[in-house]
Amino acid sequence: MRLPASSRIIAAAAALCLLPAAVFAQEFSQIRRTSNAPPKPSGATPRTPDGHPDLTGVWNGLGDNLLGVPNQIANNGLAIESESSTRDLHSGSLIATFPRNTNRPLNNEESERAASLLRRVGSNRPIYKPEYWEMVKNLDANANEEDPSNNCMPAGIPRAGIPSYIGQTPTYFIFIYPGQGGLIATQTMYRMIPIDGRKHTPLQELDGTYTGEAIAHWEGDTLVVDAWGFNSNTWFDQIGGYFHSENMHVIERFHRDGNTLTWTATVEDPDVLLEPWTTTPRVALLNPRPNAMLPESLPCSERDLAHIVTKEHH
Amino acid sequence: MKATILKTFVIAAVAALAIQSAGAQSTLDRAKVLRAAADALGMVRWTDIGAGATRLPAIDVVNTMEFQGSGTSSSSDRAFKTEYKVALGYNPAAMRVEMTRTGPGGGAPQHSIQTVRENYAWDESEIGGGLVPGKSTATPAMAVVKDRLLQLWTLPYGVVKAAVAAGEKTTVSTEGGATIITFPLSEQLAGITVKATLDSKNFVTKVETRPDNPALANLATETEYSDYADHGEILTDIKSPGHIVRRQGGRPVLDIQVKMWEANNPYLVFPVPPNVKAAAAANSR
Repeated sequence: MRLPASSRIIAAAAALCLLPAAVFAQEFSQIRRTSNAPPKPSGATPRTPDGHPDLTGVWNGLGDNLLGVPNQIANNGLAIESESSTRDLHSGSLIATFPRNTNRPLNNEESERAASLLRRVGSNRPIYKPEYWEMVKNLDANANEEDPSNNCMPAGIPRAGIPSYIGQTPTYFIFIYPGQGGLIATQTMYRMIPIDGRKHTPLQELDGTYTGEAIAHWEGDTLVVDAWGFNSNTWFDQIGGYFHSENMHVIERFHRDGNTLTWTATVEDPDVLLEPWTTTPRVALLNPRPNAMLPESLPCSERDLAHIVTKEHH
Repeated sequence: MKATILKTFVIAAVAALAIQSAGAQSTLDRAKVLRAAADALGMVRWTDIGAGATRLPAIDVVNTMEFQGSGTSSSSDRAFKTEYKVALGYNPAAMRVEMTRTGPGGGAPQHSIQTVRENYAWDESEIGGGLVPGKSTATPAMAVVKDRLLQLWTLPYGVVKAAVAAGEKTTVSTEGGATIITFPLSEQLAGITVKATLDSKNFVTKVETRPDNPALANLATETEYSDYADHGEILTDIKSPGHIVRRQGGRPVLDIQVKMWEANNPYLVFPVPPNVKAAAAANSR
């Protein structure tokens, strides 16, 4: 049976984005869930000799936080709490929830169109200055061509979300983002983030980069990573066409509770935003295997965009 | 005596069962009818992409939408050629109606942008007016909050959402072979009853609103929807009407042929301008 042309294209795009990432999540994806609510923490929070929480570990216990529609719906701010209850975490509104009315698997076209809607239904949206409203809408509508990550460019910060690996020393952190899968197909990124009390370089002295200049400090048990000095080549959330200027300032907060890590990012960009915007909190689960490793990062090679003929997209 | 008691007990038990059964039937019918209406519009969706063994239920995926069309609108018994563009959202409840109207005698077109969000209504001098000081203005229009919200909640998606939210207050029936959904609106629109008619494909084809309070007679409306299809450039499988006809107080106020209806939850926002919030606060004192 041959699928219609549009279905084949959607299937190809889906395969490109999903296959490599599936490597990370394969063994954990067998956990049967009927909810995308954040995992409940268990176990004690380990601490380093200086008394701070130890964030070291591979944080892909339920797969990369960009991988899989259940996670992506959660990133968009919707907690599907049970078979009959869904809540928008930003507004507090209840979203009507229904049982599935068929066991027939959806075809590729049906799946992708539904996923596109599900990833955008949440109410937590950055508020741009009015002169940019049409631009943001058009970037999202034309994301097949416009999304920088579709051409294997780095996702940037904070779009990359929660790092899949965190290494912690008394004076710096190492964050690794394997990229190459999930919602956005991107290059692997890493960040080396000092926590030695240094201050930011003045913004005007920095050449903009994808990950910016980051410095960290502790606020109680929460690690705060403060970054600026970005280029303007990335979008700052998983979907939505949320572009930014070179004056973007990002504050990420990481809080470990047992085997869970909660992350938020606040984006300040007075050039384009009317007000700062904060992501809905995301929760990653520690990979439970003590010998967990990240596999080799596969090269990102984009070969499908030239063949996409509709605006249907992630 | 014993036989009489037994007979009474049996009659009571049968009656109780009948009542319970009727209640269950009513609940079942309501759920089925609302689900059918939501499914016809493509509102209820799920997918398993990248989900592994996780199986989430289906949810209502309609939040923001944008549509535009052209036709006629009427006010004070005058008909205007009208270009009509609407941005809307249900979370939060908000709507921005942009109209460019040309009178029968020609002349310069009249342009208006009428916006509502929850408890606030205002008119914008340009899209987003009043948000950036010195660039454009927002004029509070608190007196028409109900009127504008009613336009949002009488769209087909608003009808299904509000009927589901009304729970057991929603009733379903048949009239002339057509399925009828009746329910009360709530919050700012409390006191208004909606009667929606479904066609054989379960599309909402007619929505009538009736206010309890005669003083709100201007909120008695009738809107007809037809020619359903996926009118988006980005196909979503969400069906939207291609023709909208609205009457208020029995008179036609809007007749629009839809050219485009984007349903992919586009970026549409409705921040309330500070001067509108201030005006509302002053009104409430």
